[in-house]
Amino acid sequence: MDMSLEGRIRKDILDAAKMVGPVGAHIGPSLSLVEIVAAIYKEFNPKCDSIILSKGHGALGLYAVMHQFGIITDEQFVSFEQNGGEFPGQPSRSPNNQIVYSSGSLGMGLPYAIGLAEAKKQKGKVYVVTGDGELNEGSNWEGAMLARQLNLDNLTVIVDHNGMQSDGKCENILNVNIHEVWKAFGWKTVQCDGHSIEQLQCMLKDKTDGRPKVVIADTIKGKGISFMEGNNDWHHCSLSEEKYNLAVAELEETYGL
Amino acid sequence: MPKEGILKKREVDKMTNLENYVQAFCETLEVSEEQLTGLKYQDVPLWDSVGHMNLIARLEEVFDIMMDTDDIIDFSSFEKGKEILGNNYDVVF
Amino acid sequence: MDFEKNNRMYSLLGQRGTFGVVLNEMAKENDSIVGISADLTKTSGLDRFATNFPQRFYNVGIAEQNAVAFAAGLADQGRNPFVCTFSNFATLRSNEFIRHFMAYMGCGVKVVGLGSGFAMGLFGNTHYAIEDISVIRSMPNITILSPCDCMEVAKCVEFCSQYDGPVYLRLSGKNNNPVVNKRDYSLRIGKGIVCSEGDDIILYATGSMVSVALNVAKLLENRGIHAKVINIHTIKPIDKQLIMDNKDYPIIVTMEEHSVLGGLGTAISETLAQCSYHGRVLCMGVEGNYKNPGTYEYMMEQNGLTEDKIFERIIEELDA
Repeated sequence: MDMSLEGRIRKDILDAAKMVGPVGAHIGPSLSLVEIVAAIYKEFNPKCDSIILSKGHGALGLYAVMHQFGIITDEQFVSFEQNGGEFPGQPSRSPNNQIVYSSGSLGMGLPYAIGLAEAKKQKGKVYVVTGDGELNEGSNWEGAMLARQLNLDNLTVIVDHNGMQSDGKCENILNVNIHEVWKAFGWKTVQCDGHSIEQLQCMLKDKTDGRPKVVIADTIKGKGISFMEGNNDWHHCSLSEEKYNLAVAELEETYGL
Repeated sequence: MPKEGILKKREVDKMTNLENYVQAFCETLEVSEEQLTGLKYQDVPLWDSVGHMNLIARLEEVFDIMMDTDDIIDFSSFEKGKEILGNNYDVVF
Repeated sequence: MDFEKNNRMYSLLGQRGTFGVVLNEMAKENDSIVGISADLTKTSGLDRFATNFPQRFYNVGIAEQNAVAFAAGLADQGRNPFVCTFSNFATLRSNEFIRHFMAYMGCGVKVVGLGSGFAMGLFGNTHYAIEDISVIRSMPNITILSPCDCMEVAKCVEFCSQYDGPVYLRLSGKNNNPVVNKRDYSLRIGKGIVCSEGDDIILYATGSMVSVALNVAKLLENRGIHAKVINIHTIKPIDKQLIMDNKDYPIIVTMEEHSVLGGLGTAISETLAQCSYHGRVLCMGVEGNYKNPGTYEYMMEQNGLTEDKIFERIIEELDA
């Protein structure tokens, strides 16, 4: 059986991480958002829609999806994290490479996306991918209020809800029920399996009754590789030959050869 | 000039001053003469904070005066304005 | 627009009122202009704009970071957004957002800082903006404009309405803003303006301090000292050529309603250092710790920024 799309994207992530060697890459966060970004690209109209990766540390996941969707070439993909290159560890705006937004500093993608969405009303959709740890940043909530006020039904936030942030479990750092919080801000709030492209697409298609929408996508940091799952040691690190081989073997077992 | 002449000039000045005062209001605030009696700051859309300064700038030009900040703030109605110009800037009406 | 005809009205309105009036006029001709306020619509002089163009006006709430990021999104869709709030909040609260969207991503947002320097008077230190130039100047891409009077504000707004890059427009002084330019003139961004000629000493000033500098020049003239006065309306890019062309003065004075660290004085000193200037640079601006607040006039006095205080300091320097 051929390897599934989810598997091929993950394989790309591992290949790139191994390729860059000791400088390392954000492996765990990238594995977490594979299906989210893939589902967006399946729904995406490049003529009028925008995708904003607000959690910039998921860059490798974004590039891998773009690579598998044929949006960027093999050559572009292997330039990941090259000195002075156009595909750094956190995305840097380069319209020629279909990357509209620079990220890295958290909590900035949503308010920017609101400006895009306001200008694109009735014309195009804007998708924002945030982390759940990222929601600690207050600027998200300034934006959440404004988006609701402007009735931006063309704006969708997808929260990569993996329950982890840099220092550990989100619930041990700032324990909030994000589902209830988004609801309280007046957003249409839905939740689904963040590793099911099909379920995510369903949620993205769902009509919103004039309000902005948030999809809380339940995910696992490091998804797909057992020794990386839920383990923050794999947040940003280098990937040895030995671990790479172990990881690829697991991928082949789970997602096909 | 004989006394009668001075009096006459004063009367003429009075007339022109009032005409000019009325004209400044009508033109800058886009109101008709009938609206002027009792007209107060913010009674009409154009007499807002910007329109107020537009009106003051016009009156300064017409009467060749420079108004004090306190007077500009106190200038709250058509009638109050006449009083201020009369008392503090020797404009006779 | 007939700036000359409206000059007295502008002056009475002050710089921020003028900004509002001119933006409203520009918006009639230019559909791309958008006004954004962080809950200070009236204070920014934007009430007429908000009434006339409800579809192009946004009050984003008391949320300056959001205002800048939202504006950046609009700018990337071809709009020309003007974000207006007090300078301290505009540049300090949303500093990283300015860096990210305007400096790094190059989004054509216009940040309009109202009430810079000590114009907020008794609102106190939280509302003074005396570090704003400094924090913006170190970022690439952003043009910094600091107009000397209301006609210059009008001309800066005219420039901003046609320019698609990022700008920080710094508005200073109070209502009844002194008139420096009685007649209309051509404003060239990045080119300082010589306001008066003199061979003995040179005074560079920006914003509200230009009219003060002209008064200082008169006081010096009474003592037989001829001062050249230059209006630096564009702090970035600084007019290096003009500064280098005028390095034959033994004393160069800079005047700004801003910290002496990182503002006009620093920008001029940097240029002079690069061209091996051997004279003295006297930077007049805000020094030391935050002082107990007071009215605008009181704060200018306390910080040695009145014409008399500056005149005295220059005389001391000349006598030394």
